Amino acid sequence: MISERVKSNLKQTFSESLLPKLGLLLLVSIVFMAIFAPLLATHDPTRTGHYDEQGAEYPPLGHEYTTQTPHEGDIVEITVEPTTEHVLGTNNVGQDVYSRFLYGARVSLLVGILGTSMALAIGVPVGLVAGYYGGRVDDGLMRIADTMLAFPALVLALALIGVFGESPVMVPDPIVMAGLADGMPESIPIPGTVTIVVALVTWVWFARVARGEALSIRNEEYVKAARSFGTSNKTILLKHVLPNSLTPIIVLATIQVAVIILLEASLAYLGFSGTTLSWGYEIERGQDVLRTRPWVSMFPGIGIVLAVISVNLLGDWFRDALDPNIEGEGR
Amino acid sequence: MTMGKFLVRRILQGVFVIWGVITIMFGLRAVSPGDPATLMLGEGATQELIEHVREQEGLNEPIYVQYFDYLQGMVIGDFGYSWRSNRQVEAMVIERVPATLELAIAATIVAIVIAIPLGVISATRRNEPSDYGATLFSLLGISTPNFWLGLMLILLLGVWAGLFPTGRRPVGFAEAVTTLVQHGSVYDLGIWLKYITLPAITLGTYFTALITRLTRSGMVDELGKPYVTASKAKGLPSVLVRYKHVLRNTMIPIITVLGLQMGTLMGGAVITETVFNWPGLGLRLIDALDARDWPLMQGIVVFIAIAFVSINIVVDALYSYLNPQVREE
Repeated sequence: MISERVKSNLKQTFSESLLPKLGLLLLVSIVFMAIFAPLLATHDPTRTGHYDEQGAEYPPLGHEYTTQTPHEGDIVEITVEPTTEHVLGTNNVGQDVYSRFLYGARVSLLVGILGTSMALAIGVPVGLVAGYYGGRVDDGLMRIADTMLAFPALVLALALIGVFGESPVMVPDPIVMAGLADGMPESIPIPGTVTIVVALVTWVWFARVARGEALSIRNEEYVKAARSFGTSNKTILLKHVLPNSLTPIIVLATIQVAVIILLEASLAYLGFSGTTLSWGYEIERGQDVLRTRPWVSMFPGIGIVLAVISVNLLGDWFRDALDPNIEGEGR
Repeated sequence: MTMGKFLVRRILQGVFVIWGVITIMFGLRAVSPGDPATLMLGEGATQELIEHVREQEGLNEPIYVQYFDYLQGMVIGDFGYSWRSNRQVEAMVIERVPATLELAIAATIVAIVIAIPLGVISATRRNEPSDYGATLFSLLGISTPNFWLGLMLILLLGVWAGLFPTGRRPVGFAEAVTTLVQHGSVYDLGIWLKYITLPAITLGTYFTALITRLTRSGMVDELGKPYVTASKAKGLPSVLVRYKHVLRNTMIPIITVLGLQMGTLMGGAVITETVFNWPGLGLRLIDALDARDWPLMQGIVVFIAIAFVSINIVVDALYSYLNPQVREE
């Protein structure tokens, strides 16, 4: 699967350049932030509030909160500037920007990783089968892939979410469940449709890369030998073709995590997400108060940039070390 | 394969792809919740009226009849009527094309003008500060969501520095040129330029970053080839070698990638137009989605697919002209 040569290349590239180290450090910090968000947060990220000029809560609201944007008139909209109570200020509905920043990392990473895994699960088998069997199967599958590519990913995603709704999935938060963080939301929403949709619009890239690999591997001597022994096609695909095409697929998967994080943020910005905890959604909300309260949009954007840079740096590292020639989709 | 045969094959493939897009859009509409007649008339329409519209629009026909009607309409360029405004979809699409086209071209110009020199400098001065600078810039460029970049540009250059206007543009390129021709005044053209600058940078940054990376890596590969050493040994000025021979050979893969990235450009345009309230196709698509205006939504998506497929055929033709080997694949 992963040969010694690959390992030593990875090590060498890592030690030679500063960029992979920076990427790894950034990614580890963001993952840490996402996992321990309930412990690091200073306020319940979904709780809206009234604040006086100094940022002190006034009067206390109790522990009720809502994941929906409250209706106008429900609360007094006072946005406070960064203070010691709210280190990054609050947003238009009085929620703590710093705490939402931490929770936003969860949404981005979850959608990025789950979406990429689903895209892998669809694209790799399709591509391997198309490339290995060739002929009509290949033609048919590649025409489907072409059709998918004729849609800008964002436009197709918007159309799909428009049809199927947003349906967030509420997942219990293990840290809060264990009683380690009082007063934090007990469950976090994962944007359900968005995760599936980003996989549906990006699997084609995995199919293309896997197909290219299978095309070249099927003519290798060891595959011919296996076939002459009467090994079934299924076994050849699983035992020979798949392991030998993994390298470029891993590189692509890394790049795709970054692409999907950006795609999720864009969808959330346009108002097609399942959760208000997304960084993209927060940027959209801050747009209304951009002139007077720029921090509402600024910080979640920095979060997206850091997350995407960290993943891209790792992708560059893998690509430089493993050197496959692949093209990735943009956003 | 001859060029003619190659083109015919690519065009047939393209037609197939567009048929696929039309079919998928029809399928999505068919499975989408909500009765079209109700969506068309809005809440509170009487049952009689809804039934009348269903009959009139052929919504009571079996699904395959509806599909063929729809397909037939698309073939003759009849995209139907918008449910909300009751206007012809073709007209609603066409009137928004210039703004998007202006934006896309401006962004591409921004990208090429900045990226190619940057890539060349980066490749020829490898591991020097200017290379690190260019690498950092392109890393930031491909990692920054363009809607956020747009907002920050509005904030920094529009609101705080006051250099650029931030509202909806008052004049399009065609009107600006008309003013120039009729009154000999460049005033409108200046306004047009001021309004398009920030959106063009917003949309172009990702491509600038992408092309910088491609130019750099392509140039690095090319510079290592024997012909470069040979031309240097012959005493050709290195500027000539770099820009005339090496860059030309680097451009071929860049053109192909750019063709493939047209979908990304269209997606980016949707976002950029939303941020800047730019009166293009993308903004209209978002409006159509919000209103669940299916005919308009389908019309725009199919139009984008046709544009994308056509551009790729042109790119492929160019590519196979430059490099005849690809036709043999």
